[in-house]
Amino acid sequence: MKNLQADVVIIGTGPAGLAAAVEASEAGLKVIAFEKMNISGGAANMGMGPLGIGTRQQQDQMVDIDVEKAFKMFMEYTHWRVDAKMVKKYFEASAGTIEWLEDMGVEFAGAYKYFPKSEATWHIVAVNGGIGRNGGAIMNKAMLDKAQENGTEVFYETPAKEILRDESGKICGVNAQDKNGEDIHVDCKAVIVATGGAGDSPEYMKERMGVTYGKDLFNIVVPGLKGEGIKMAMAAGAATTEMSVEKIYILPFSDMGVQSVPVVFMQPNLMVNIDGKRFINEEQMQNTTFTGNAITIQKGAIGFSIIDSSIIKTYKKKGLDVVNFVHHVSDIDDFEQACQDIVDDPNNPDVVIADTLEELAEKCGINVENFLETVEEYNDMCDSEDKQFYKPSKYMKPIKKGPFYAGLFRPSGYGTLGGIKINENCEVLDDDWNVIPGFFAAGTDTCTIYGDSYMFLLPGNTMGYCLNTGRFAGQGAADYCEE
Amino acid sequence: MANVNLIIDGRKISADENQTVLEAALKNGIYIPHLCYHENLKPNGGCRLCVVKQEGVDGVITSCSVKVKEGMVINTKDELAENIRKLTCDFMFKTHPSECSGCPKYGKCQLASISQYVGDTGRNLRELKIRAAGDETNPLMLHEMYRCILCGRCVRVCNELRGVGALKFAKVDGRMRVVIDGNSLKEADCRFCGACVEVCPTGSIRDKVGVFREDLPKEVAQIPCQAECPAHIDIPAYLRAVKEGDCDKAIAIIREKVPFPHALGLVCNNRCEDGCKRKGLNSPVSIRNLKRYAAEHEENKFWKETYIKTAERTGKKVAVIGAGACGLTAAYYLNKKGHDVVVMESKKIPGGHMTSGMPEYRIPTQAVLDEIKVIEESGVRIICNHPISNAAELKKDYDAVLVAIGTSVGKKLDYLPGSNLPQVYSALEVLQAQRLGMDIELGDTVNIIGGGNVAFDVAGTALRMGKKVNVICLEKDASQASEEERDAALAEGAVLYDSHSNEEIVGDGNVTGLKVHKITNFYFDSETRALVEEAVPDSTYVILCDSIVFAAGQVTGLTETFGIELNKFGYPINPETGKSGYKTSVEGIFSAGDVITGTKFLIDAIAGGREVASLMDQYLGGDGAIEETLTEREAEPYIGKVEGFADIERNEMALREAATRVCDFDLISSGFTCEQALCESGRCLQCDLRNQIAPQKFWNDFVSEGGEQ
Repeated sequence: MKNLQADVVIIGTGPAGLAAAVEASEAGLKVIAFEKMNISGGAANMGMGPLGIGTRQQQDQMVDIDVEKAFKMFMEYTHWRVDAKMVKKYFEASAGTIEWLEDMGVEFAGAYKYFPKSEATWHIVAVNGGIGRNGGAIMNKAMLDKAQENGTEVFYETPAKEILRDESGKICGVNAQDKNGEDIHVDCKAVIVATGGAGDSPEYMKERMGVTYGKDLFNIVVPGLKGEGIKMAMAAGAATTEMSVEKIYILPFSDMGVQSVPVVFMQPNLMVNIDGKRFINEEQMQNTTFTGNAITIQKGAIGFSIIDSSIIKTYKKKGLDVVNFVHHVSDIDDFEQACQDIVDDPNNPDVVIADTLEELAEKCGINVENFLETVEEYNDMCDSEDKQFYKPSKYMKPIKKGPFYAGLFRPSGYGTLGGIKINENCEVLDDDWNVIPGFFAAGTDTCTIYGDSYMFLLPGNTMGYCLNTGRFAGQGAADYCEE
Repeated sequence: MANVNLIIDGRKISADENQTVLEAALKNGIYIPHLCYHENLKPNGGCRLCVVKQEGVDGVITSCSVKVKEGMVINTKDELAENIRKLTCDFMFKTHPSECSGCPKYGKCQLASISQYVGDTGRNLRELKIRAAGDETNPLMLHEMYRCILCGRCVRVCNELRGVGALKFAKVDGRMRVVIDGNSLKEADCRFCGACVEVCPTGSIRDKVGVFREDLPKEVAQIPCQAECPAHIDIPAYLRAVKEGDCDKAIAIIREKVPFPHALGLVCNNRCEDGCKRKGLNSPVSIRNLKRYAAEHEENKFWKETYIKTAERTGKKVAVIGAGACGLTAAYYLNKKGHDVVVMESKKIPGGHMTSGMPEYRIPTQAVLDEIKVIEESGVRIICNHPISNAAELKKDYDAVLVAIGTSVGKKLDYLPGSNLPQVYSALEVLQAQRLGMDIELGDTVNIIGGGNVAFDVAGTALRMGKKVNVICLEKDASQASEEERDAALAEGAVLYDSHSNEEIVGDGNVTGLKVHKITNFYFDSETRALVEEAVPDSTYVILCDSIVFAAGQVTGLTETFGIELNKFGYPINPETGKSGYKTSVEGIFSAGDVITGTKFLIDAIAGGREVASLMDQYLGGDGAIEETLTEREAEPYIGKVEGFADIERNEMALREAATRVCDFDLISSGFTCEQALCESGRCLQCDLRNQIAPQKFWNDFVSEGGEQ
């Protein structure tokens, strides 16, 4: 047993934990952070950048967005079912947070949209001066460097196990365990929980949300997100909140593979359900949340994206209909071969290829009669307009020439949202909504501001929420410790 | 070894002249990104991540392959070097999946860590994904080579460090890939040592889920046999000694943890074999039988001098009640720590169940007494025929007392009508009578009630006493017993009445039979624990016999008069926890072994003896450290190729013919032959070698260890 002393203990070093560590250590507090992985940054290491509203980048790029517009949009979207105080505070702080990161040496490539209908709130971290991927990792390192420069001690491969409160109810310590199994006890005044949710715990998602992994949800798991922070906080008396999945849709077995496959199947062509009927304006397919929602409510929770060979030919010649930075390929030359590889892989049911539409429907298990009728109607509408769901004509490409391809999309999630009840200062509340002295939480463990569906129209939201609430928690812990 | 002086990033550093620039920097807490460099492998200079600027040299140098020189001036943060590193990272991402999500290595990936440090996490240059499907067809390990960044560490570790060469580089569809040298790992004569997994920086080569326990520290979990052994015997090391023909060394290694190697080699229930990684290939290594082989083939006992040497006497006096495996183990270690230990045994010989509760033909008395003699030689005093009626009274004369009386009273199911007849016995009564040479009236035919291992122990014993034996049990095929023990007794002539329930013991003054009926199913009510059965109608009949033996478990036989608090089943309890544990209700009186756990296995009693000895030593003012080293370890990492390694079948000991072995009480097998032992020990995957490989380090490890960035 090792005994340590600190002012603040931070559990988890993703963007929320790191932002908290920078704030608390800037205020002169002794900070100890526990990280169960070998690397700091959490899920944000595979992200590209946070939300900012009213930033210099937006000004430079003449992006028309400010806090008022974003707030109104957001509250309309969530039907005021979420903490308006928190939303306002977060949006208001977001531009300052971009500058705060720049002061730590983080460079941004600019403010971007995720897809055409979204706002340009996404501040993509520059990778080697331009737009790359996983720039979140670089941003996280900048915060880590700063926190360590200020004296923060990070213990890797050392999961926290227990949050302790004294007789008066105040936070008084944290227990952790290192990789060799040695127990570590820290006496501290404040604790900040920021462990990133339970996206890698099918059991906990089942318990909290009733979803069954492999049936309702095909997760693209971020390993390690087991919900420990939520469980630890609840064990220490924190009230809990509703939890939800940050819904998306994917080809469950091909997401890691050749990128042209998901990219082409996510183009706004024909999408049908197992009944062979359309269920979405496919233009929405760029909004992964909306499409994930729509697929979830279909029979068997499956959507079939259908394309024909002439569409592929067009894409190869003229480029794709829609691109984004995440699903971004320079060309799709390898599409057919990659699809064939998937068809040949007995463990991957994501793609079906057939020479005729009947055969395609049969292989997919789609109602053949309905499907043929849908394709006929759809092809007719390609000559006029989409009278069913009002998809713009430019995305109406007929399905005529074999071989035909189907991509089998399933609902998935980036992770979970919510779990620990906090107020807009990131103070953890008990069941009677009283503040527990010294107890703070931030990031996705606490994020309930989207209501039922992730707010994708303001991209960068998850990372933005984590960073800003992390800062609030760090500042709050500093104020608390000074009192 | 001379030291040279050089400057790295403005810091004056003194380094051994044989070190490379990279090694000198890392040793001084200056992190230089590196990937193909690995402490256990020869420098290769291939990945170009460790490039630095050397003053006076054009371009950059790879710091992993250049030795330090006097007066060298190195700049690790040179702009050209940093740009090369960034480009190198970016090239690695060309083939690597762009999404980390779903990768089980996430959070522990060296590529992710390095790219985070270098500041290039992949740009938008044209991607060249490797079109390789995941491969889970091999045992124990899986390959997802689409994540491979061609650092080559797996190929090099398999060739250079192991001498196996199951992996190689090859061009596939015009592109370089890491592939198996053959159609499968088995075919490539892989030794399944896991070195490739250990060095893989990404998630390309991994242990399959479930191969190792996740609730233990990695280094412990990676040797599953040792992790599963309650006493944590260093199994791979002693198997290696057997393989090298050095049984004395093997016994020395075993004795570092347990004082009864031979007894365990005969009767241990070998949970180590449940953990053995080799079961994922074909079948586990026959660990217990190799332990027996070692115990029966040791010659010079070189370990003995160290083994019986004890610490300076502390003057503290300890009494141990019960000379079973637990009590004797604790006595050995307490004496070793310098305390004066006397063991008090109620029976006429020491050994507990080893000498009176198990059959002679499974564990000969002399073998046990030989091992006890070593404990006595170390200074432990054993007094037999010396029952203790009150532990608290005894404590008055001693600084500490250990209650290790086991569960030495056999249960009889007294609700069964006729159970008070004179020829009704518990299993333990029969076994003890035979082992200790006492009279017992069994008649010609014995009906044994029970279907566990003890029932078949009694069966084998009674058969050797010349009796006819019936075993009557509820379970179909006596599924509670190990197949090995059941089949041995049946082969010797015991008759099994499975799926049978008892009604009454028939007899008029003397036992004449057991009234039974057949059942199709049974279970115990989850609340009342009462037996619920589905009887076959009109199936009642009587199985004639002259005596009845209950093999229905054992109890402690303790009552309140013993002077310590007991629970309602007669087990000592610690009032602080309300449960049975090493501490009892009386300060200075401890308890361990079966008397707190209920009847368990020999290895559990020994492990309990170790733990309680450590605790008691601390109570007596010692440090509680009972770990000892009796021999050095040398494990050769270069294991080489063995043809057909994965398919080498498990060796089985030859059993004596049932018809002859039932005529005496000698062991039913003479153990492994020398040839079998060499072959069997060679089947070990040597999981411990993996812990020799330097653990993967991350840049933040260097930073958090106090170095500079």
